[in-house]
Amino acid sequence: MFRLWKIAYRDLGRNRRRSVLTMAAVALGLALVLVLASLSRGAIEAALKNSIRLDTGHVQVRAASYDAEKVSLAWEDLLDDPQEFAARAQALEGVVAASPVLWASGILETRDQTISVKVVGIDPLSEAYAPFREGLVAGKFLAPDDRSGLLVGQRLAHNLGLAVGGRVSLLANTADGQPDEAVFAIRGLYDTGIPYYDETTVFLPLAKAQAFTRTAGRASAIFILARHKEATETIAEALRAPGLNVLTWRDLNEIMLQASAMSASILNLMNLVVLAVVAIVIANTLLMSVFERTREMGILAALGMKGRQILLMVLLEAGMLGLAGIVLGLLVGGLSVAYFATAGLYVGAEVTSTATSAILAYGDTIYARFSLPDAASSAIAALAITLLASLYPAWLAARMEPIEALRAL
Amino acid sequence: MQVIQLQDVTRVYKIGEVETHALRGVTLTVETGEFSALVGPSGSGKTTMLQLMGCLDRPTSGSVYVNDQDVTRLKPNQRADLRKGTIGFVFQFFALIPGLTAYENVELPLLLTGEKSKARRERVHELLEAVGLADRARHRPDQMSGGEQQRVAIARALATRPLLILADEPTANLDTDNGRQVMEIMQRLNAETGTTFVFATHDPRVVSFARRVIELRDGRVTENNQHA
Repeated sequence: MFRLWKIAYRDLGRNRRRSVLTMAAVALGLALVLVLASLSRGAIEAALKNSIRLDTGHVQVRAASYDAEKVSLAWEDLLDDPQEFAARAQALEGVVAASPVLWASGILETRDQTISVKVVGIDPLSEAYAPFREGLVAGKFLAPDDRSGLLVGQRLAHNLGLAVGGRVSLLANTADGQPDEAVFAIRGLYDTGIPYYDETTVFLPLAKAQAFTRTAGRASAIFILARHKEATETIAEALRAPGLNVLTWRDLNEIMLQASAMSASILNLMNLVVLAVVAIVIANTLLMSVFERTREMGILAALGMKGRQILLMVLLEAGMLGLAGIVLGLLVGGLSVAYFATAGLYVGAEVTSTATSAILAYGDTIYARFSLPDAASSAIAALAITLLASLYPAWLAARMEPIEALRAL
Repeated sequence: MQVIQLQDVTRVYKIGEVETHALRGVTLTVETGEFSALVGPSGSGKTTMLQLMGCLDRPTSGSVYVNDQDVTRLKPNQRADLRKGTIGFVFQFFALIPGLTAYENVELPLLLTGEKSKARRERVHELLEAVGLADRARHRPDQMSGGEQQRVAIARALATRPLLILADEPTANLDTDNGRQVMEIMQRLNAETGTTFVFATHDPRVVSFARRVIELRDGRVTENNQHA
């Protein structure tokens, strides 16, 4: 059997430094692509998970006329008898928690600062608010019958110079369109790890929120958490009824999903740029190697090597370089991803508390998320690009006339 | 038996508008087992003739027969196949593959013909022994003298047991002793194996080894002497 690979392999050993550098370029390129893809996937998945867990739930049931943009509190835009509806939803297969929620827009005032907030009336006992209960860092969680207590994010409290037990004035819109104001005591501080929520959301017990906004036992929505994302559609389907608007996490996170898709395509473009640079390095290496070895190609042709065998030999060289680079790249990339998956990449709260986080609920640390299909497709892409880049040098080598090649000195 | 037959062969190179007639109507026969020198001044057409005999090039007109087969109109791949088993080359420059050891260089044509590993090993050792370089098998070209490299090249040319070995100025880059040694080896291998050798040279000391001298001048055969 003709063993071109043996000759190709030996050729690679002839200029070891060049081979190693080229292999390193492939490895580094692939590792970079893997790390970027894993960080991006980690960030997006975490953002979606956070958004569902803390903000949107898997399913929301609202009155058909409810306008989330306006945070309407008009009675006709709210759900009557939300407790009964929540109990019905809670009984459905796959539902972890179903709880009425009331949203209002408000302004928090201290002696020298005002800040606009999202006021959320919740059932403090509901499983739906476990993340906030678990994220309590000071004071205590709200009690259902608390008439003057407020739960605020630690970051918001810090920004306003507030502490547990401190008093703060809350101005909120009400059902009749007239704002109302009352003084509340800070019962507790929470930290979800998502700066955007922690800086903009304050919680009241539902009963107090309903009384304060004069909504008379009504709710903006029923907030439903499912056991799995996959159960969403069944749950939503079971709750659909005339006059109701049943939204799933897909509808509620539409902008985030679009932003994710966009960032994925930008990332793909970046990956392509990285791989294109790698391709240029490989093409350059092989071109140099082919030109340096013109006479050798002539000798090989004189010994009876055919054009396509010479082509195959150069492709094999590239393939071996590529494969070695890919193995090294997977190793380096895999280790880097493993590191970022456990230690995370700290990007800082300043970055994530900006307006973009209203769309993508990032924490201050991004944890990489390894995906085997991503790694496999990146590795295949790297090999394909290596071989594509080597086609031209290989073709050049293959079409050399033996006597021309032998003449080169 | 005829190994090579050239019939009214011309070869014209065209560089831009200028035509160079390297060979002008050469008719020549090389018989099996010959040890022939191709002589003539630079530009007389020696290298061109070797390239045509070696199926590295095609004539502009006329026919070339190798082992009674008309090779004039063979496609590049068919010519490569023919070269692989039938013709060995020794070049003026020591045309070894730099990164490969003496052993690996000799092994190369055997890899191309698909020889089995054991047969390859035996053949390479036999040939390195024959050219007196058994102890240099693991040396790379840059670790060997010019004479040693040329002996490796001869061993490589013989590897596939070709009918014909074409050597283009095989001693031109060697000193007298090494040149003589190379010629003696070629002569001995010719006698022992019956392989036909045709070598181009303009060194009279090299010519003296030949049993037949073919003289070329301006692309034509001017003398065709049989010495022995």
